[in-house]
Amino acid sequence: MTQPHLSLQNVTYTYEENGPEAVSDFSLDVGRGEFVALLGHNGSGKSTVAKLLNGLYTPTGGNVLVAGMDTQDSQYTWEIRKRCGMVFQNPDNQIVATVVREDVAFGLENLGVPSEDMPAIIDRALSAVNMADFADRAPHMLSGGQKQRIAIAGILAMQPEIIVLDEATAMLDPSGREEVLETALRLNREQGITVVWITHFMEEAARSSRVAVMYKGKLVMDGTPREVFSQVDLVREYRLDVPPMTRLAHMLRERGLDVRPDALTIPEMRQEVKRLAHHA
Amino acid sequence: MPITLEKLSHTYQEGSPFQATALHDINLTIQDGELLALIGHTGSGKSTLAQHLNGLLKPTAGRVLLDGQDINQKDADRRALRFRVGLVFQYPEHQLFEETVRKDIGFGPRNMGLSEQEVEQRVHEAMDKTGLVYDEVGEKSPFELSGGQMRRVALAGVLAMKPDILVLDEPTAGLDPRARDFLLSDIARLHREGTTVVMISHSMDDVARLATRVAVLEKGRLVMEGPPGDIFTQVDRLTAMGLDVPQASKLRHELEAEGIVLPPCYLLDDLADHLAHRLKGGAADAT
Repeated sequence: MTQPHLSLQNVTYTYEENGPEAVSDFSLDVGRGEFVALLGHNGSGKSTVAKLLNGLYTPTGGNVLVAGMDTQDSQYTWEIRKRCGMVFQNPDNQIVATVVREDVAFGLENLGVPSEDMPAIIDRALSAVNMADFADRAPHMLSGGQKQRIAIAGILAMQPEIIVLDEATAMLDPSGREEVLETALRLNREQGITVVWITHFMEEAARSSRVAVMYKGKLVMDGTPREVFSQVDLVREYRLDVPPMTRLAHMLRERGLDVRPDALTIPEMRQEVKRLAHHA
Repeated sequence: MPITLEKLSHTYQEGSPFQATALHDINLTIQDGELLALIGHTGSGKSTLAQHLNGLLKPTAGRVLLDGQDINQKDADRRALRFRVGLVFQYPEHQLFEETVRKDIGFGPRNMGLSEQEVEQRVHEAMDKTGLVYDEVGEKSPFELSGGQMRRVALAGVLAMKPDILVLDEPTAGLDPRARDFLLSDIARLHREGTTVVMISHSMDDVARLATRVAVLEKGRLVMEGPPGDIFTQVDRLTAMGLDVPQASKLRHELEAEGIVLPPCYLLDDLADHLAHRLKGGAADAT
């Protein structure tokens, strides 16, 4: 039996004693190497879940296991933080040094890595996010997407198994968003890193392998993007939307065309239109 | 009350080694009642331009005219100008600070020197316009609200000053789809009721849905300007600038490359109509 990489078991979290539950009886297992998009309305509890995943918060009720280690057991705290890295929304709040290379080194220094080993680790981490050419630059001169990739490099340097990105693209422009998403997808694909990708962009979720939807602190949907987004009405009930191409498929079906209801991307929709045009 | 930017340039830290030209020779008039979307890559000068519209920044060359008056003239009433042109920054909820929603929204009108009664009146109106219910949230701390509601409180705070022109910098950034939808509907309604709106956005689908005119900035220059139908059909040109296009434009463009040519459109609804017509029409021809 393989152990889930991340396991949330009947997790409840309240910010104040006897306060409202930000996360409520939430259970989710994430396997090694999965790329899970976590969706939910503002205030649904997504960010709370993110912080529960690496022990920044410990659950009020239930258990969170990271590679089998319980986040409530303080002997594991540092091991969990090392294995599960976090990237947050605001690129400007995550950079600590004045040179990119030193920023990436920050985590390593905290881990007590010998300084002679650092350059190789840093170069490898920066290469993995396609930022090797920027090692000696000043972070504040970089674009938002580049800053987020530096933040990811800082985590990679610690050789994590899991990366949780909490709306890491929310403050970026479309090209910056694409850079960061592409980086996360590639690290997942090539290095087998487990990724939890929290977002408000449905078209980003469409590119993950699994979508989990939160509503008012609870897990309400869980499946492949196709399974989740083909349920247009339900998704909307949870104050979300479906990717634009799924919306178009819905509109075309309302107009009497036999289009697959679960089309997610432009290439898929292009195929569908070609098929129907050929038929016609 | 149109705003005209006349040969406007802005150079940051002019004369220093860090000199950087953010805007270069911009000529643009914002007409009464339009909803102008300002699009462009990060660093193209959109936010710098927006900050000239109410005098937060002064041009280093050229002029900003409001009703034909240079707003940066020595004797210009810059205070009154700030009330006429309401600027809503990115993530405006970060600037909420009062103990209650009611007080936060009333801060601007109170600053204008209105009586308490008038301030209350304005707070009520602004909350109505942004879909906030006074009896529900008026006495709450703004920090107890959801992200979408906080954004609306910030917008209401600007609306309470009854600006003639509303300038919004990335109004929907970070909101969930539902909150985004609500906010866009609020903006559409304000526009319909006569407010001139300038909206900066990276979301081309939002722009496609709302804008009556689109202006494109690239490296500080105004490079394209026109109705959305004219702008969003130039997919290759926008893509070359590193910009997104509405999803409908993108699919239409890709289909064209495959030999399936549809009438120009940039909204999903219109594309659905054209596709239905084409694909069903085609079927009828075949039989």
